[in-house]
Amino acid sequence: MSTTLEQPLVAAYGLTKHYPVGRSLRQALRGERPVLRAVDGVDLALRPGESVGLVGESGSGKTTIGRLLLKLTEPSAGQVAFEGEDLGRLSRSATLRFRQRAQLVFQNPFDALNPRFSIGRTLTEPLSNTGVPKVEHADRVAESLRHVHLGDPARVLERMPHQLSGGQLQRVVLARALVLRPRFLVADEPVSMLDVSVRAGILNLLRELRDTLGLTTLAISHDLTLVRYVCERTLVMYLGKVVEDGPTAQIIAKPAHPYTRALIRAVPRPYVDQPRDALPLHGALGDAASLATGCRLRNRCPHAFDRCAAETPPLAEIAPGHRVACHLHTT
Amino acid sequence: MAVAEARAAPAAPSLPVAPRRGAWSAFARHLLRDPYALAGISIYVVFLVVGLTAEWLAPYDPMEILFTPEGGLAASLPPGSDHWLGTTNLGRDIFSQLVMGTRPSLIVGLSAAVAVASIGTVVGLLAGYFGGWADQLLMRLTDIVLGLPFLPFVIVVTALLGPDLHNIVLAVAIMLWPNAARVIRSQVLTLSQRQFVEAARVTGAGEWRILFVHVAPSVLPFSALYGAFAVGWAILTQASIAFLGFGDSSAISWGTMLQDAYASQALDRGQFFWFMPAGLCIVLVVLAGFLVSRGYEDLLFPKLRDDK
Amino acid sequence: MTELLAVRDLAVAYANGTVHAVDGANLTLRRGGMLGLVGESGCGKTTLARALMGVLPGGARITRGEARLDGTDLVALAPAERRARLWRDLAFVPQTAMSALDPVYRLRDQMREVLCDRGGLSRAEADMRAAELFEAVGLHPRRLADYPHQFSGGMRQRAAIALALALRPKLVIADEPVTALDVIVQRQVLDTFRSLSAELGLSAIIVTHDISVVAYLCDQVAVMYAGRVVEHGPTDAVLEQPSHPYTMGLMNAFPDLESDEAVLAPIEGSPPPLSDPPPGCRFAPRCPFAEAICTREVPPPVTLAPDHWSACHRAPEAAALRQRARDPLTWRDVAEAAA
Repeated sequence: MSTTLEQPLVAAYGLTKHYPVGRSLRQALRGERPVLRAVDGVDLALRPGESVGLVGESGSGKTTIGRLLLKLTEPSAGQVAFEGEDLGRLSRSATLRFRQRAQLVFQNPFDALNPRFSIGRTLTEPLSNTGVPKVEHADRVAESLRHVHLGDPARVLERMPHQLSGGQLQRVVLARALVLRPRFLVADEPVSMLDVSVRAGILNLLRELRDTLGLTTLAISHDLTLVRYVCERTLVMYLGKVVEDGPTAQIIAKPAHPYTRALIRAVPRPYVDQPRDALPLHGALGDAASLATGCRLRNRCPHAFDRCAAETPPLAEIAPGHRVACHLHTT
Repeated sequence: MAVAEARAAPAAPSLPVAPRRGAWSAFARHLLRDPYALAGISIYVVFLVVGLTAEWLAPYDPMEILFTPEGGLAASLPPGSDHWLGTTNLGRDIFSQLVMGTRPSLIVGLSAAVAVASIGTVVGLLAGYFGGWADQLLMRLTDIVLGLPFLPFVIVVTALLGPDLHNIVLAVAIMLWPNAARVIRSQVLTLSQRQFVEAARVTGAGEWRILFVHVAPSVLPFSALYGAFAVGWAILTQASIAFLGFGDSSAISWGTMLQDAYASQALDRGQFFWFMPAGLCIVLVVLAGFLVSRGYEDLLFPKLRDDK
Repeated sequence: MTELLAVRDLAVAYANGTVHAVDGANLTLRRGGMLGLVGESGCGKTTLARALMGVLPGGARITRGEARLDGTDLVALAPAERRARLWRDLAFVPQTAMSALDPVYRLRDQMREVLCDRGGLSRAEADMRAAELFEAVGLHPRRLADYPHQFSGGMRQRAAIALALALRPKLVIADEPVTALDVIVQRQVLDTFRSLSAELGLSAIIVTHDISVVAYLCDQVAVMYAGRVVEHGPTDAVLEQPSHPYTMGLMNAFPDLESDEAVLAPIEGSPPPLSDPPPGCRFAPRCPFAEAICTREVPPPVTLAPDHWSACHRAPEAAALRQRARDPLTWRDVAEAAA
């Protein structure tokens, strides 16, 4: 276990991303510009070699965080630092260096590969984009294919995407990320589009890569079982904010935030004898555009009290490495 | 580092040259399998061959005034072995006119197609991919053009700049690019959401590279489709202009043939052999454009990548 | 008779009849039961569901077999007669509720259309019934005045279920009803089905790829592989004592929230092409326990317990195979043998 004093590989400070949303005539006349707070003041730090899961429902902002950390979109406020460098101030060449070190694994392997490119061309493109000398290309491609256990490279390279199965395609997607020898890998719902029997192979591969290459990984998913399988640490997001952060095993065994508790209870289990009592949460996912202050869960939370509407609960430590943003835990 | 160690393993294979033409040849094969598209393409090919070999095919100079062996004017002769489609009231060979008239039609049709497809594609790509003010500007421009009446605009342009073929092409291109641009823009908007575009960005591809290497190839079939539409429209327009008398009367084309026949009251005299062939040729070429685009539709609207 | 639906040797062919998406499927559903139809994409589960509904896509047709609903063979009915039975005997809940709901009509009007036109109720009766249905699926009757786009994803799914239940069909078939939903909403929809089953005695087939959904909701399960049902039985028996190697593999491939560091084992390889399936057992090429007979002869269903059968030549040894199947190495060996 690395110490907290170590410099984080990736860190975000007050990271915020607002998207403008359609406004009503009344809002327009008043000159209001309503925004969707997709990500709202998130601080986080990933230590080198750490595997972190980012869990939340659709609309929680988890995918936006991934895109912000990879400089695929610019924050509305706050900043991201990678190896201590502010991503907002990278020069063109520094950006290309960053692209070599931080990579993304996509959700839908059937969409993430250009259907007109052979696998060989797909795997070479990142190398030529980032200026890796041409003589190294073949070696690097072969190396990345070995990492993802994709059979006979000579045969795979000439294939077109539609000739491969979903599991093979996802391995190619992984290989494309690894061909740049990154240190940081974001995997956004890496198995949700795959068949059940294939998922296990990709999950095992993610675990293996994390261990053998020492990658720092951020697995973004709505699926706690996946996060449980590949991540040591878990962040739970609700409507643009991190509400709980801690060791995965601890979060699953002893969830501290009411939302996390509901999220864990909601997961159906693969055996018949399982709890089926009502979830400790009511209503549907709130509207992120409307709640500006206080705890965003308060309308759905069975424990909500006055303070929840008045002040936004800060993310506070309740046990070593375990932080929760809930007034039930702040005294 | 583990990455470096892993390189000790077997010799890396050489990278194959990526088969760039894969998608296009599959596309062409598909098109040729569609009976409508095949018919359309065949019509184009026939006219292309006729246009290219017109000099050899035409038995007479189309403008030459012919005389009978008896020395009389060979005027208004019915179709026969000497004159396959008969002669005009001024003694010109109609078949030769028809064959030579293929050329201006094809020139107008093909250059308009190229112009419409290229302007529409470039505008559609830029507006769709970069969005923002460029998109606003270009799309408002298409709104303006789409509001202009087609034929009157072409007539005004030819009246101002002269009735040359290239002015007709210019006018047709100005009028037709917005349709192509709009459709291509919307395609680009969809394509930009595809994960492989994001993948190119995250692996360091520049914006122009993404636009031309990842996005553009997928919209080219649409460019071709709108090009095919433009062929028919341009030929029709050129004929209309000529028929209405705004064309270049010294050059032989299907349109001037119709105009000539009309002015000479060929309709009243029942000289079907005079105006029918030219009319039929126009219909055929326009039809070919629509047949080809019909074949495209089957290709473009189900997803492209499932063809094996 | 407690059997509501009995499907025997049903086959559905696409195009020119060379591709059988479903090829000899057997399943039964008792009255008031919830059957989970599990399998990977392309195993034919959606085609089977659509064949039962009589809404196969163009070019597909049933080539043999029967599907008896309350004694009537649906396959033998004329298309018009089958359509007449939609809503009344059978109703469908699609994966995306948006395709069941018409975006330009209020829910009340859509309910009336089914209840009045198909069910012959008066408007007032229809509105009463619609309100009851909405309450049954946990939606406020006031929401009947809304358009589908005013609903969230989970509410829309529940509205689609309410619509399917409008004429009290004998059987509801739901195709991946919760796949597109987030966990919490998914749980709410699953609970809707559960309470309908408990309170109204709803009979349903739930098509899903997710074993956990079946475990949570269904009392019966049918596991499909490459166009056939390979194992069928009570959910607890099938999940706790899987007797077909494919089911064993699926159980291994599934992570659980609390399993401590157990290593998952993927089923190596991919399903066979349906245009050219292997002879004998279709799972044999990926099966760690395949023997010579498996590649030659189609395994018949072997009854292991009342209502529990497995189409595997080695089903009698299932207990021993289960032991070996728990070891991830067992599955890796198949991959190496294939490579």
